[in-house]
Amino acid sequence: MKPKVAFFDFTSCEGCQLDALNVEAELLDLLAAVDIVNFREVKTEREDNYDIAFIEGSISRESEIPRLKKIRDQAKVLVALGACACIGGVNCLKNFLPMDEALRIVYKDDAKYYDTMPVRPISAVVPVDYYVRGCPINTNEFLKVVRALLLGKKPEISNYPVCVECKMAGNVCAFEKGMFCLGPVIRAGCNAICITSGRYCWGCRGLVDDPNVDSEKEILQKYGLTVDQVMERFKLFNAYQEVAK
Amino acid sequence: MTVIKVNVHQVTRLEGHGNIVLNARDGKIEELRWEVTESPRLFEAMLRGRSYQDVAFIASRICGICSIAHTTASIQATEAAFGIRPSEQTILLRKLLYNAEMLESHVLHVLFLAAPDFLGVDSVFPLVATHREVVLMALRLKKLAYNLAELLAGRKTHPISCIVGGFAKLPDLGELKAIRNRIEEALADFEAIVKLAQTFKIPDFVRETEYISLKHPEEYAFIRGDICSSDAGVTPVSKYLSVTNEFCVPHSTAKYTRNKRDSYMVGSLARFNNNYDQLLPRAKETAHELGLKAPCHNPFMITVAQLVECFHVAEHSLSLINQMLARGLEGEDNKVKVRAGRGIGAVEAPRGILFHDYTYNDQGVLTEANCIIPTNQNHNNIQKDFEALVPQILDKPQDEIRHILEMVVRAYDPCVSCSAHSLKVTFK
Amino acid sequence: MQKGSVLIVDDEPIVRESIRDWLRDAGYQVATAESGEEALEMIEKQDFSVMVVDIRLPGQTGISVLKEVKAQRPWIKSLIITAYPSAETVSEATKLGAVDYLIKPVVPDELERLVRETLGAMGREPTVTTKLEAQPKPPVVEVVKVKKSFVITRGSLKSLVENLTKEIEVVGVKSRDNKYVYDRIASFDELCLDYDVTVTPPTKYLMPAKETLLKFKVGDKPRVEPVIEDIPRVIIGVHPYDIKAIELLDEAFLATNPDPNYSTRRQNTIIIGVDCLNPSPKSFAPGMGTHLTETGFDLLLTDIGTAYMVTVGSEEGADLLAKYAQVREPIGDEIAKQKAVRDEALAKYELSLDVPRERLPRLLEDSYDDPYWESRSRTCLSCGSCVMVCPTCFCFDVQDEVSLNLKEGERSRIKDGCMLVDFARVATGENFRHDKASRFRHRIYRKGKYILERYGRFGCVGCGRCAIACLAEIASPVEAFNAIAEAARVKEEAKRLVKEVRPETELYAPRFAELVRVGELTPREKVFEFRFKGGKGLGHRPGQFVEVSVMGIGEAPISISSSPTRDGTFQLAIRNVGNVTKALHALGKGAIVGIRGPFGNGFPLETLQGKDVLLIAGGIGLFPLRSLIQYVIDNRGSFGRVILLFGARSPAERLFLDELALWSQSPEIEFHETVDKGDESWKGHVGVITTLIPKIQIDPKKTMAVVVGPPIMYRFVIGELKKKEIPDENIIMSLERRMKCGVGKCGHCQINGVYVCQEGPVFTLAQLRDLREAV
Repeated sequence: MKPKVAFFDFTSCEGCQLDALNVEAELLDLLAAVDIVNFREVKTEREDNYDIAFIEGSISRESEIPRLKKIRDQAKVLVALGACACIGGVNCLKNFLPMDEALRIVYKDDAKYYDTMPVRPISAVVPVDYYVRGCPINTNEFLKVVRALLLGKKPEISNYPVCVECKMAGNVCAFEKGMFCLGPVIRAGCNAICITSGRYCWGCRGLVDDPNVDSEKEILQKYGLTVDQVMERFKLFNAYQEVAK
Repeated sequence: MTVIKVNVHQVTRLEGHGNIVLNARDGKIEELRWEVTESPRLFEAMLRGRSYQDVAFIASRICGICSIAHTTASIQATEAAFGIRPSEQTILLRKLLYNAEMLESHVLHVLFLAAPDFLGVDSVFPLVATHREVVLMALRLKKLAYNLAELLAGRKTHPISCIVGGFAKLPDLGELKAIRNRIEEALADFEAIVKLAQTFKIPDFVRETEYISLKHPEEYAFIRGDICSSDAGVTPVSKYLSVTNEFCVPHSTAKYTRNKRDSYMVGSLARFNNNYDQLLPRAKETAHELGLKAPCHNPFMITVAQLVECFHVAEHSLSLINQMLARGLEGEDNKVKVRAGRGIGAVEAPRGILFHDYTYNDQGVLTEANCIIPTNQNHNNIQKDFEALVPQILDKPQDEIRHILEMVVRAYDPCVSCSAHSLKVTFK
Repeated sequence: MQKGSVLIVDDEPIVRESIRDWLRDAGYQVATAESGEEALEMIEKQDFSVMVVDIRLPGQTGISVLKEVKAQRPWIKSLIITAYPSAETVSEATKLGAVDYLIKPVVPDELERLVRETLGAMGREPTVTTKLEAQPKPPVVEVVKVKKSFVITRGSLKSLVENLTKEIEVVGVKSRDNKYVYDRIASFDELCLDYDVTVTPPTKYLMPAKETLLKFKVGDKPRVEPVIEDIPRVIIGVHPYDIKAIELLDEAFLATNPDPNYSTRRQNTIIIGVDCLNPSPKSFAPGMGTHLTETGFDLLLTDIGTAYMVTVGSEEGADLLAKYAQVREPIGDEIAKQKAVRDEALAKYELSLDVPRERLPRLLEDSYDDPYWESRSRTCLSCGSCVMVCPTCFCFDVQDEVSLNLKEGERSRIKDGCMLVDFARVATGENFRHDKASRFRHRIYRKGKYILERYGRFGCVGCGRCAIACLAEIASPVEAFNAIAEAARVKEEAKRLVKEVRPETELYAPRFAELVRVGELTPREKVFEFRFKGGKGLGHRPGQFVEVSVMGIGEAPISISSSPTRDGTFQLAIRNVGNVTKALHALGKGAIVGIRGPFGNGFPLETLQGKDVLLIAGGIGLFPLRSLIQYVIDNRGSFGRVILLFGARSPAERLFLDELALWSQSPEIEFHETVDKGDESWKGHVGVITTLIPKIQIDPKKTMAVVVGPPIMYRFVIGELKKKEIPDENIIMSLERRMKCGVGKCGHCQINGVYVCQEGPVFTLAQLRDLREAV
């Protein structure tokens, strides 16, 4: 029996769902291995009897919560897809504004029609079984998780920082090129693609399990960023964790 | 007494969330709405207070399909604010990168989102069994577009190497050559898609409206130009607000726009109508083969216009790569000098004209932002299409009415999640 | 007495006879014996000058033969031959008088030379002239001889390189982002031979960051196929410290359990080195003795300004020069110039090691508890940068990946490092090096002590890359060494490099066994019985372990739970706790599973012989101990009293109930059992296992205690055993660590300087007193 798979999205840019299917001939293997029964962006028919749910997007409105809980009740396995679902993502930046003020500024008098609340990752609302991290996700990692689920094994996701993969790729360290990089405290799995492409790590995959954040902050300051600037760096993707502290 | 109740909650095969509501009794329409229910993302609120180095990075996350368009518009707005002129090399690279996204987005829409309707199936998945080769081909083309974007910017969704002033890393000439060969092979794939498209059952519905796009004297405009209206002619980008005229409606978290008429259209068909002459030869041939003539007022033909643009970008990309191979690529000094100022970046996203309007202080920190999204500009048009179309089809079975209305929405290839965040924010 | 007579002792006829024929052709008197017993009989009757003996003999082992020979005929010189050299056997053999050792397959030339030298050293003339039918050496170009230096112009070097690029893959040092990296080069002009240091070392071509070891097919009939990359390559621009690093990797990967992947790459690689004349400010190579080298390269270039000096280091290097370059003899002051530029370079180094490096190991040994480790590592990010850029780091992880159709897949190894948080974590979640200070200290000890003791070369070559890469600026070993400066002795220069190595390509490939029976012990523990095709036994010793593979899921180390005396099948008792064990638990009779091994040292059966044995098993410690219990029962006569203590947490968690009953009823075993917590039906003893010990009367002078159980149990049980005055050497334990490769390569099972898969898992308490990380 092929496992039934469903894709859902909340507050997101929908890039992760599409990147999950950024495969070529593997799509046929994937369709042979699972039954995609629910995927609003790509098909109309849907079944509400699924085993594995992939969820993209963070929670930013009250109305999204019951919907998420319903999915958790139905699915045997719930996988958070992408930074917004895993750690809150860029959407969390709006948490730094007072809620009413944000709406009023954007919609003025019509603000009364809209609601919003502090943005949070899915794990703040329901228990999550597995995470596919990144903004956007790495298609290979997504397939790795799918394969692991098919085999009934726990996916082997690294718990070491981006520096490991960056060095494996033979990159010159971003700090040595005059940039400021969050790599030393951010979880690897992306093959350090941003540094290889000439930039630095923004931290979209979230912190490793036991990050030495204080040391990273010290280092960033040593290389010339002020405390405020350092906090701004972290805030881009890791705002939820920082605020939650 | 016939009662028609159509209530589609979250239209499928759509990027983003929107509802269709129709209540009619005995041929009289009581309620007819295209509702945008996307959660407000409040991007302008998120951009303010950020250093220029992070702005494009965040703006990219407005959308997962057209992140390159947002990135380019954002960077060009910042460059305009700082008075930076990108080099010829940068412009070539940006155009090529842009083509990659245009291609990917159109292939995705034509073959995965719209084609099922025209072929009478529910989604692309059943096509794997009945049209296996076409599906593989579509995947191949998508992959080619992805790889082209990866070559230029590190990644297609949320590109990495694009920075204010140029690119942080240049592509390898050998790899450019290799991908050029793949594009040439892809042109054969396009022919097959054209053959398939000729079997599409496209509804015949005509409603003339105003068509707005960029226009540039030397090229089929994607990343630069002035605003062109089919009614009112050319307007400089700096006056974009006088063209868009955004306003709020209660049943939509996205804003609406209008100009000379009740609504206007942006996107492939608008570009096609305004700039047909500048299409490359293969593209024009394709339009002819598919019965698309400028000007065309049938919104269902947007999909065909997209296919025509696919040919254009493929041919154009070959020409761009040949230019790069001939002149070589040289590392440039990307030092940026910040200054206080305001700048507007206007580009043609796959779905239509897109504006990013930024104001910076003298520290290079963004104080004000305004983004006008193509789909925003189409929402009103969709509503007006509904209002014109529904009376014509009220006698059909309810299910068919629903389906046709969904197809109208899908034809525009909307990107709803981008569109839900509008309005100007002033940082006090 | 006959002169120049040799006795060959080997159980394999082919080996015996071929060596015999060869030596006879060389003019020696040769006799053969096929077992240790026969050999000893023969030396009673005849005299021999030299004995060539195989370590692994059936019955009486080679080592024990050496012992006897040393006692009875001390003037006989012995040479060891073995297919499985290990530091242990070699050092033991040497203590027993072995002169030297050779690794199978034996090269006749080498053996003959050794025999000749051995005889020569005895002050006797060999009875026959030693003119051998040596193979004619290929004609050496007069001009180019190994170890000699010549002058080569830039133009000639350029044409050498450009010719090479047409025939073979050439990598060299080029510039990128204002730094230097190794990458493919297409032309000589891309090379930057005057660089200071590269970001990552050239060792990545010998041990890549990721490498496929096996391809496999999953399913009812799993199959594996080793994958070995076979691409010839030239590396140009290797600095002496990197050359020394490669020599260390050669030792680590080729000497014991030769690695087929590394070996093939190494044999396919030509190294053109370059003297380092512009050292990096972070380098301390002179302190580590690696700023110059006379070995390890095929060619070595020194820039003397007007041209290059090129030193030939091997036949291959000589051939390259002969084929592609014009060289000439150096004239007078060019040799002096070479020395002068080297001296100039030496003066440029900014960092120095403040103690002679020979003293580092002792220094480190005495500084285990120094607060330096804790304070220095406070800012460590555990980011792994130091490991990834290091030329002498070679630990790795092994992972399985399958295709989406779940039918086939690959097992790959990926570079890993002891500085990463999860390096020493096992499936139950316990992490044996969970804090930064212990990881930091371990790395420095690897660099300055453990690697030296294991392989005879330092684990740090002073390149300075880690100092450059470390954002927290704490990584440089020279700072650590200098910081805890004190004197120590260094070990003698170690074994010579092994040249002719033919490793088994199947080192990492499992063979397959069929699951013939599954028994449930408790809800999460089962016992699995396996048989190899053809019924061939596993050939293990009690206390050893195997690596069990479920292809696609992974591989896990499991102790063997049955004795080798119960032949035909072997049993593994397994708790369901991780990915692999979970997959195993889902298997049924008839399933095919991969097995590698047996690995590890096993219990010291020889020392237990004739003694009273006190066997103590706590919980699933019974799994490995059962193999010994069964062995003892099957050889009951060889042991004195047999006392068996077993403790389970509760009656529901007792294991092997049938056997427990058997043991408790047997008159030959004194069996005592307890549970930590009883229930209504339990009539037996209640209390932790230590409560059983005080009541047992034993004679500490002839009792050996063997204890296996969870880590927490050891401390308390040992306390009780010490109260009984059992000496440390007589208390034996089996330890658990994260084991991946089983052959002493991947590094995960390290406890201080020992590898659990090689020197363990069985240790005496005496040994553990020296291993601070052990309990």
